[in-house]
Amino acid sequence: MPEPTGVASDMGVPTRMARAGAYLGLAALAAVTLFPLLWMASIALMSAPQAAAGTPPLWPQHPTLANIINVISQQHIGTYFFNSLVVATATTVLSVLVAGSAGYALAHVGFRGRRVVSGLMVFGVLIPTQALVLPLFEMFREVHLVNHYAALVLPVAANPVGILLVQAYMRGIPAEILDAARIDGASEWRIFRSVAVPLMAPILAAVSVLVFVVSWNEFMWPMIAMQQENMQTLPVALAAIDREHYQNIGLMAAAATITMLPMVCVFVASQRYYLRSVIAGSLTG
Amino acid sequence: MATVEIEHVDKVRPGGQAVLHDVSCAARDGELLAVVGPSGCGKSTLLRLVAGLESVTVGVIRIGGCVVNDLPPQRRDVAMVFQSHALYPHMTVYENLAFGLRVRGTARRETDRRVRQVGARLGLEAMLERYPRELSGGQRQRTALGRAMLRDAAVFLLDEPLSSLDVPLRAEMRRELAELHRSLGTTMIYVTHDQSEALSLGQRMVVLAGGRVQQIDTPVDVYRRPANRFVAGFVGWPPMNFLRAESLADMVGAPAGEAGVEYGVRPECFAAQPGGPDDVQFTGRIERIESQGGEWYLELALRCGRVLVRLRLEQALTVGEPLRLWVRRADLHTFDATTGQRVESSGR
Repeated sequence: MPEPTGVASDMGVPTRMARAGAYLGLAALAAVTLFPLLWMASIALMSAPQAAAGTPPLWPQHPTLANIINVISQQHIGTYFFNSLVVATATTVLSVLVAGSAGYALAHVGFRGRRVVSGLMVFGVLIPTQALVLPLFEMFREVHLVNHYAALVLPVAANPVGILLVQAYMRGIPAEILDAARIDGASEWRIFRSVAVPLMAPILAAVSVLVFVVSWNEFMWPMIAMQQENMQTLPVALAAIDREHYQNIGLMAAAATITMLPMVCVFVASQRYYLRSVIAGSLTG
Repeated sequence: MATVEIEHVDKVRPGGQAVLHDVSCAARDGELLAVVGPSGCGKSTLLRLVAGLESVTVGVIRIGGCVVNDLPPQRRDVAMVFQSHALYPHMTVYENLAFGLRVRGTARRETDRRVRQVGARLGLEAMLERYPRELSGGQRQRTALGRAMLRDAAVFLLDEPLSSLDVPLRAEMRRELAELHRSLGTTMIYVTHDQSEALSLGQRMVVLAGGRVQQIDTPVDVYRRPANRFVAGFVGWPPMNFLRAESLADMVGAPAGEAGVEYGVRPECFAAQPGGPDDVQFTGRIERIESQGGEWYLELALRCGRVLVRLRLEQALTVGEPLRLWVRRADLHTFDATTGQRVESSGR
């Protein structure tokens, strides 16, 4: 029989058990989330006959890069990848600029109609993309921007979610700090550049990840606005490959894996920062 | 250095809420003017109006003789210390101090020399590379003061600078502030809700309540000759006792009770022995006793009400026993019971 080891271990055992249980639960959740993604990556490495056999097995018998090489060489995936990258990057840069300045202004610059603008932002969040597609298409056709990167970047450059996130975050920053800079003699632009932007860096990072992911995954509007094949983005092209090669599961899995990869990279690279800022935003906002 | 003149200033917020009514006061060149009042009386707003962080609705503000109503804070030649210190959290102490100089395009070497000079003067040499979150309350306070000093402004505005510090540190910083004012000789406007701070630091003080000036005078005169019942009750601790005249009239030797007046006596103005033939005698029963070292705080039940008494007395006192005390006529303040204004004739 083991010797009783005192109060500390009496207290420690249930805590350790609880912690182990929590980790087990989290691990199970992670496994459920990751399983389809890993299976998809695994199918991308399978030979055509193995991938096509009813339900594909979990593990490739003879791993091969044939599907990936095929997707890159014959399906112009590089072009679509480039299009997606240009659109997502431009959207991110532009919407962070807009969200940063607009969110700051809505939180800390007194101007007439500030409440109305704030209300409109909330309203903007509520409008579904589907409702905007037709008028947007008409608008862009008239200014001859259909089949142009701008057609995908401009409509989402002013992102109401991003603006509201920055506004909420900046409301948590005391106005006295900005007043102190005014007393120090800084111009309004200098205050924005040297005081406000560094203070909102965490929320800007979170907004940029959010916008990049949403823009990268956007499907409906790019499908309508980019009718020329060489201007299409990855998700749209992926759907086309799906239609053309619905029996070639390995090829589709390879294309999907390539589509997903940048998202995984972005998220892994920024997750610490991202989580921290989301928490900070919720506490101070 | 400069004078600050505030003339007939009203401030009405956009929602229609009036914060200040017809406020007029002035800080003389090199003076430390304390503005004191209960929270919500408009004292911080007054300071923000002088700084230019908010705009005046009606009235004129002059700094050094020039009307500054339409000048932004950047061009008013004022420095300000905020209640929350308002340090830039993403900058080190050095950068916080240097920011104002950099903004004004001061040469790098000159900036460095002055930042280190002020840092040394405030005992912050070892803290220059730290961030505000790594500082104690007192160090943050000193950094905020240093930032204001480097601004080299004609006027210093201090908005409750000590209220976020704990009590022992507050006393120390109060001494340092007084010393700083003496050595810089800058005009300072010091806003506080703590009347003892205003009494000890201010060369003159402005008492504000409900957005109106109640009295402007030296601390000694505000204490000795409060202009109205509010000032009498607000300045001085423990607060002044107020007694209705009607009930005081039948006290032995009390002045003839004038209808419609109220008398005020400070707790420390009671004496165990009569000082002169003119003294007013109070007789009551001891309700409560509190000893504070050499002093007694007594609650005395008079026929006309209860009073708090602060007394230096060697003999032991017991609850329930009767006590006779005297107050000099000069220490009996008289106020109009309806308007609350001081009535001079029987004051002193």
